[in-house]
Amino acid sequence: MKPFAFTLILILAYLAVIIPFADYQRTRPVVEKMGYVPTPQVLKFVSADHKGVTAAALILKSMMYFGAIVEPQFNTLKVPPDYQSMYGTLAAAVKLDPYNMDAYYFAQSFLVWDVHEVKAANAMLEYGMKYRKWDFMLPLFAGFNSAYFLKDYSKAAQYYKRAGELSGAELFVNLAGRYLWQSGRTEQAIAYLTMMEKGAGNEAVRRSFRIRLQAFREVRRLEEARDRFRAAEGRAPKSLEELIRWGALTPIPRDPYGGRFYLEPDGQVATTSKFTHALGAARKP
Amino acid sequence: MKVIDIQGLKKSFTGKRMQRVEALKGIDLQVGRGEVFGFLGPNGAGKSTTIKSLMGLIRPTAGTVRLNGIDVHDPASRRSVGYLPENPAFYEYLSAQEYLTFVGRAFGMVPQRVKERGEQSLRRLDLWEARSRPIRGYSKGMVQRLGVAQALLHDPDIYIMDEPMSGLDPLGRALVKEIIRELRGEGKCVFFSTHITADVEAVCDRVGVIVNGALRMVERVDRIMAEGITGYLLRSRSPAGEREQIVTVDHLSDLLSRLKEEGQTVTLVEPVRKNLEQFFLDIVKGG
Amino acid sequence: MTSILLITLKGIFRDRVFQGIMVMALLFLFIPTIGSLSMRQVTELSITLSLSLISFILLLLAVFLGGTSLWKDIEKRYTFSVLGLPLSRTSYILGRFMGNALFLCLTALFLGVITLLVILWAKGLYPPSRPVRWDNMMIAVLFDTLKYLLLVSVAFFFSSVSTSFFLPIFGTISVYLVGNASQEVYDYLHSGSQAVKVLPGMVVKAASLLYYLIPNLAAFDYKLQAVYGLDIAGRGMALTVLYWVIYTTIMLALTAVIYERREMK
Repeated sequence: MKPFAFTLILILAYLAVIIPFADYQRTRPVVEKMGYVPTPQVLKFVSADHKGVTAAALILKSMMYFGAIVEPQFNTLKVPPDYQSMYGTLAAAVKLDPYNMDAYYFAQSFLVWDVHEVKAANAMLEYGMKYRKWDFMLPLFAGFNSAYFLKDYSKAAQYYKRAGELSGAELFVNLAGRYLWQSGRTEQAIAYLTMMEKGAGNEAVRRSFRIRLQAFREVRRLEEARDRFRAAEGRAPKSLEELIRWGALTPIPRDPYGGRFYLEPDGQVATTSKFTHALGAARKP
Repeated sequence: MKVIDIQGLKKSFTGKRMQRVEALKGIDLQVGRGEVFGFLGPNGAGKSTTIKSLMGLIRPTAGTVRLNGIDVHDPASRRSVGYLPENPAFYEYLSAQEYLTFVGRAFGMVPQRVKERGEQSLRRLDLWEARSRPIRGYSKGMVQRLGVAQALLHDPDIYIMDEPMSGLDPLGRALVKEIIRELRGEGKCVFFSTHITADVEAVCDRVGVIVNGALRMVERVDRIMAEGITGYLLRSRSPAGEREQIVTVDHLSDLLSRLKEEGQTVTLVEPVRKNLEQFFLDIVKGG
Repeated sequence: MTSILLITLKGIFRDRVFQGIMVMALLFLFIPTIGSLSMRQVTELSITLSLSLISFILLLLAVFLGGTSLWKDIEKRYTFSVLGLPLSRTSYILGRFMGNALFLCLTALFLGVITLLVILWAKGLYPPSRPVRWDNMMIAVLFDTLKYLLLVSVAFFFSSVSTSFFLPIFGTISVYLVGNASQEVYDYLHSGSQAVKVLPGMVVKAASLLYYLIPNLAAFDYKLQAVYGLDIAGRGMALTVLYWVIYTTIMLALTAVIYERREMK
């Protein structure tokens, strides 16, 4: 009887603790941290013949970290993600598995837009192209980066040509040629982001692309209104407010990053958020 | 040809602090067919070392060891040997029957014969009911009996048993002794080690006493028994009543004739002897 | 030898090792789900996870079965009863090895079939960008199996010189880690990089010697080729198989020689 009673007491004690314990664990603030990632040499050694899995684990880790920050706060990002660590982790991952597309895709999604490390991004893509010889996405990314950010059109044309050869798609061949010069930067960005958003399997990454796409569509709407104004009035609008008063913008454009659109002196559309969460949130009244 | 032939067997080990320990200091011993040989000695005298040398489990430092004329380096020397190790252990995940099948296969027996002989030996050792249970669940005595059963399985000429009676209850001991006597009747050679003198007295033709790695004595048991007679117990009856007296060997005939003269009837004459244990103790202490 | 082989196999099954593998194989059911966390390569990630899981299970078997197979017989005093039979120690060693090897092969076959099913499933859920190369998958599993058979022979070698299970188990794990890295270390040392030049010549020589002594396990890794459907050179495979045959034979021969001389006290 005694052992039975003892077991019963233990079970009751367990029940008494497990409910508040679980409650606490549920509401405990999640601090997803990138933490420390050992150097690729060390990782290579300890992961022995499981390098592919280790690489996948590193990539998943950085995606979950990103997801945990982006998802709950959506577009009011109070904690800026530790992009440097994310990049370091992904760079280690491709050292372990140079074929892993997720790493290139994910790195591309934040390196150029949020960290403005376009050169680092293109170096990583070049590394990947040595292995993923069949993949048109890598030269496509590199081409976009060269054209849009670096404005190096001849380099971009080379990348687009390669992407076109690998995929056989008309669009890239056009991009490699005269289309690249004719199309505006905004159009290019929208075409590129549409494709990226469709291809993203991870919800957090797709959402971040969707927001960016939304922002660029607003920019395009502003640019179109600005051009109509110029055609009708024969001069450039002095400010965004003038455009709004003129009646070409309904509804009033909204920056999904929480910033405020304005017109540069040269007529370019810009935003105080610079298309990043951190700045947008900071400038919010 | 003697089936067990040990000549000049020496074995030394490197013990603690790199000291050489001489476990066997030159053993010469031959055992023939139809003979039961008891290998007697105190603990640590070298009984197990000798038996392991016989089975090729350890390599002699010097000397030759042959079974059936084949050097024990050659696994073929064990083809006609049934070996029962000291405190034996058998693959405990197998059942007794499976283990015997394994042993039979190792001896190259045909399945039909393994089946027949297996049943015979399991029944003989009273393990037939337990034959399908895993050895894991056997008692110590059952494992010991299985050890005897697997040694009997292929009907070998030579039986080498290290402490065959240990771990057995009185019934088991009696059974094993009976089996050894039967084997002698079949003309087999049985070599077993023990430290129990009564077992030797009960079944052995010859006994060897090993002390500190050297054979002190090898002798026929019946001769030891004869030599060990120190006197006689004599019971006689007369009208006055019954009377018992002990006389020395030398005075027996004198006493007998005197009693006859006195008109007494001798009802019992029994030799009084030093038992084997006393004999054994004398040898061990004498060294 | 076959008698030892059969009881070895029986022992492994009776110890419920296979049931353990079945439980671990349940992890395969989660692979498509984990795979779907990937953005662009669900099938690729599924293949990576499946092949690594196979490799991991085989590693556990090689280390723990191979490392304890001989040790257990000595520890539980089975050697006296078994070696008292008219079996040579060499045939005992070979029988033990074959038993372990056969079990490893059966496990690899079983897990390989499960992997094929899992990949078919994942492929159905998320069509991959590149066609799945089934031939490469089979090659990857086959060479993984060879690799772990070689590791079992290494574990046997350690068992023959040791009386405890520490050396067989930890020695084998070390050989597994070092054997997977030896090629890279060797390449690095012979890359002529500036960092290498400051190393003493002795270190480089010793590392090169180790490279030739320690099994080159990285050569057996065809996982990337299976995952990304890359071409595999036939010559490389042939050389690797040859290397495997010779290395494993040497290990077993050494084990047998040492074991023949061993005292069963």
